[in-house]
Amino acid sequence: MEKLNILVLDDDRLAQKIMTMQLAEHNTDTAGDLKTVLKKIETGRYDIGFFDLMLGPEDDHSGLKAIAAAAEKGIYCVVVSSSDSEEIIDRAYELGARDFYAKGNEESNVADILRKFAAGRKAAAAADIFTSAFITQDPETRAMVTEALKYAPTDLPIMILGPSGTGKTSLANILHDHSGRPGAFVSINCSAYTEDLLEAELFGYRKGAFTGAADSRKGRLLEAHKGTLFLDEIGTMSPNMQMKLLKAIEERIFHPLGSDKPERSDFRIISATLEDPQKLIAQGKMRFDLFQRVHGYTINLKPLSRRPGDIAPLMLHFTRSGRRLSFTREAKAFMESYAWPGNVRELKKFTDLLSSGSDGRVGLEEAKKHLRGEAAAAGGQEPRAGDDGLYRYALEHGLEAALAKVSDEMIARNLNENGGVRTKTMTDLKISTRLLYSTLKKLGLDTKGDKK
Amino acid sequence: MTEENSKLLHDLRSKCSSLKSAAELYKDCSPAEKKEMLALMNSAAAEITKILAQLSQS
Repeated sequence: MEKLNILVLDDDRLAQKIMTMQLAEHNTDTAGDLKTVLKKIETGRYDIGFFDLMLGPEDDHSGLKAIAAAAEKGIYCVVVSSSDSEEIIDRAYELGARDFYAKGNEESNVADILRKFAAGRKAAAAADIFTSAFITQDPETRAMVTEALKYAPTDLPIMILGPSGTGKTSLANILHDHSGRPGAFVSINCSAYTEDLLEAELFGYRKGAFTGAADSRKGRLLEAHKGTLFLDEIGTMSPNMQMKLLKAIEERIFHPLGSDKPERSDFRIISATLEDPQKLIAQGKMRFDLFQRVHGYTINLKPLSRRPGDIAPLMLHFTRSGRRLSFTREAKAFMESYAWPGNVRELKKFTDLLSSGSDGRVGLEEAKKHLRGEAAAAGGQEPRAGDDGLYRYALEHGLEAALAKVSDEMIARNLNENGGVRTKTMTDLKISTRLLYSTLKKLGLDTKGDKK
Repeated sequence: MTEENSKLLHDLRSKCSSLKSAAELYKDCSPAEKKEMLALMNSAAAEITKILAQLSQS
């Protein structure tokens, strides 16, 4: 954590000494009476102020005046008191106090307040993130990431959902950078390993644990000690592996392969999956108890086709140290309506191709040349829960009617794609005979046809 | 409870909290700091005794 300038107001010299020791890593200034503290507030520059309210047995909460003065100067004011009425605490908040803690247990109280202060500062700096580390102008995405940054300094597990190439790993890395955890950011893509290899990668192994284990190796869990373990595509992990991981998460203790000696690791989990975890649970692909352990806060990253306003700033970011590109109006319109199935990753590749090959001014044909073969404009047209049209429909007709509309459209589309073979549609969409036939009836389609 | 007693109790709680926190920090202090802490803790203890005397008289 950066070194902060902190002001402590307390008439008790022992309390001053305790706070100075607790805040030893920072520049701490103390005051024991109102006159001194007001002068310090006026002339000094402080990030945080810890204020006792009653300055002596005969005092009538004169610490409140210090809070008002400090809050006016933008100092993060914390009330420190052994016992005060709710009325006094409310008054302190009205005057600008941001936090309160009861005297005693200073070690955890002070650490907790410093952590909250740092988180608030980081969240305020989030706007910078959106123009440098995680480029987006989409208000919904910005709000979600800003909210997630508030949880970055906590131990709360975070789950990032979203299609491939939307920046899940980048976001996990940013969350780690804002966590204040001194350990490393350790990332592993669970889909890249077989069950045995994944176990060896995560837990490590001793020499001779299996054929080919010529040397002992530290696992990712241990590498992430006091840091962050990012489990990408967690939904692809086998149930057996999920059980082992769950045990390690719960106990923070595990055994490397071939070892009797337990290892301990204090890691924070951030996970990501392409698929809806609820669906994975329903399909028996994800253990519910593991899901509960890894999904404290959930971020859902939208595909690029649903935030076309991010295309231009992202391209600007990708070309910031190289050749700038400009696009004709037609090329821009094409790019904004393109499906971008590979999302930001595909856009990066596209930008690299244009930067190295084109003449700087990109027309429609040039853009199409590099994006051909992809279903242009298809992904953006499919019904999605976030679609304005569907949302307006839900507002007008109710959520149940909107969900029924989605269900009808899915079934009709699948039937059409299957040439009307109903059993295939029931299998594809995992729906009951009853739902299929009630939909056919509702849509006025033949329910007595011979296509099974 | 009178207002006088309420203020005394507030002061008592405050001093006791400080004394408890100081006792927790004491073991990690340098010899010089230990000396300073002991002086402050003694002073706090004396004030606690004074408050208790005031409370018993009220």
